[in-house]
Amino acid sequence: MISQELNDKITRVGSGTPAGNLLRHYWQPAALVEELHASLPVAVNLLGERLALFRNDLGHWVLTARKTRSDEPIVYYPNADQIQILDDRPIYPAVEKNGVIFAYLNDSDPPDFPNFDCFRADESHVFAFKGLWECNWLQALEIGIDPAHASFLHRFLSDENAEDHYGKQFRDKVIQTNIPITHVLREYHCPEIDVEETNYGLKITALRHMNNGTTHVRITNQIFPEAICIPLSQEMTITQWHVPIDDENCYWYAMFTSFGEPINKQLMHAQRLKEHELPTYAPKKNRLNNYGYDPLEQKTQTYTGMGMDINVHDQWAVEGMGAIQDRTREHLGRSDKAIIRYRRILRKAIKALEMGDRTALPMHNNDQIKSIVGPLSNDTIALTDDWSGVSHRADLKRRAACSWDASIL
Amino acid sequence: MSGEKSVTLQKSPTLSEIIINNELPWVQLIESQLLDIPRPVMPLVLNGKRLVLFRNDGGMLGLIGRNCPHRGADLCYGRLEDNGLRCPFHGWHFNYIGQCLEQPAEPKGSQMYKAIKIPTIPVAERAGIVWAHWKERYGFDEAVNTAT
Ligand SMILES: [Fe+2]
Repeated sequence: MISQELNDKITRVGSGTPAGNLLRHYWQPAALVEELHASLPVAVNLLGERLALFRNDLGHWVLTARKTRSDEPIVYYPNADQIQILDDRPIYPAVEKNGVIFAYLNDSDPPDFPNFDCFRADESHVFAFKGLWECNWLQALEIGIDPAHASFLHRFLSDENAEDHYGKQFRDKVIQTNIPITHVLREYHCPEIDVEETNYGLKITALRHMNNGTTHVRITNQIFPEAICIPLSQEMTITQWHVPIDDENCYWYAMFTSFGEPINKQLMHAQRLKEHELPTYAPKKNRLNNYGYDPLEQKTQTYTGMGMDINVHDQWAVEGMGAIQDRTREHLGRSDKAIIRYRRILRKAIKALEMGDRTALPMHNNDQIKSIVGPLSNDTIALTDDWSGVSHRADLKRRAACSWDASIL
Repeated sequence: MSGEKSVTLQKSPTLSEIIINNELPWVQLIESQLLDIPRPVMPLVLNGKRLVLFRNDGGMLGLIGRNCPHRGADLCYGRLEDNGLRCPFHGWHFNYIGQCLEQPAEPKGSQMYKAIKIPTIPVAERAGIVWAHWKERYGFDEAVNTAT
């Protein structure tokens, strides 16, 4: 439980708020490149600001404030000819990275981009998409650094055939075995969780000790301030930001990154377009249709009764908490270890900014930032009494065989 | 306010929500037969408090706060099993008076569950009607929990 005052401090993102100020010191996903096929400018709704994205005279992407109607919806995409740019406002820089436009909503010098895999992989090996969640960004992030929830919220009561798993999470088989991941998650629901602070955020290790003397090791990451990096399948990872539109709405922006074959983007896109409305990227299953909830399915097939798409499960969990989760009534347990650790880093960074010390922020030292690589993110099986090192070796092997430069030395 | 009474049945964002405003000590909620359905779990708002009404396997009725005390997930979508309601987020299990009995993602031997209790309002069934003992409500933070 935390005080209302602290909850406000770490969740609200408007200009001049403590968390808003912090997020304005990091590059924020602002649009998908696929949204820019229409004529410019394109509306961007980010951190409570109503902006327009266009190219300046030098051909560089920039954002600035646009004229706003008082009754316009929060998620609003007018046509280019209806956008009126305000010309007395700050101009913010934006850059394109493998399908995503990142913006820096601050007039200070932006930090460099770290050398993460999603940024340096070939364009053929990265696919980007986004989706709307109608809740505050922090609860959207916190579900991503909670390794235990996958054993419940995403539980399948039987193991689906893993053949049809391309581009979907938790459908693959465990590496070098014939065990479906769905089986591991269901049968071993109380993972041992280890959290380690790193130069980019947190490395989170979830150990599921199985009764055959082996351990399932899942490594996920928190990338400060509002992203995660997690395995999708044996060959792909997801790096996903939870970007505030305002205090009560956010987008997830995901960069799927392949260490193996080039990504079948057409298939990945079609799978996701089936579940979302354009141009808002609002999920077709949502609060208004009870997320497709079916009590019979909940009894016989899935833990939630909301279908097989785990994104819908996560969306239900975070939207159901309310627009901004009331953390004055929460009771965190041991399974929330990474969330507790993350909030500590968040509060420390907010404090540093209040003291005017930007150099104390994670990933703000440009001398070191290019040496931040990875992060390691995979699922492996190891002998229970010798699990440490197995993830690392599997990661090195995958990197060595990769067609783009994935080296981390 | 006391004595003022209204009942609304509306198609709301979360399943079919029943809204009742009535601050008498005992408040009439619904006819029992509305719960004669395969999954007797119903969202209900009583005097601004967001609640979930459910019948356990043994036939007892529970009327408890809607958000899981862990991280706030919506218990209207809970799994009705093991003689109580289980949160689909992490499997925390609650009995009909809102007492937590299991936290399956917590380490073996953890006693944390004993201190976890959801705000609750006692209910009784008389002549086919479900009543709530509003006056005896327990565990609500009056300032905070009147959220919409
Ligand atoms: Fe999830």
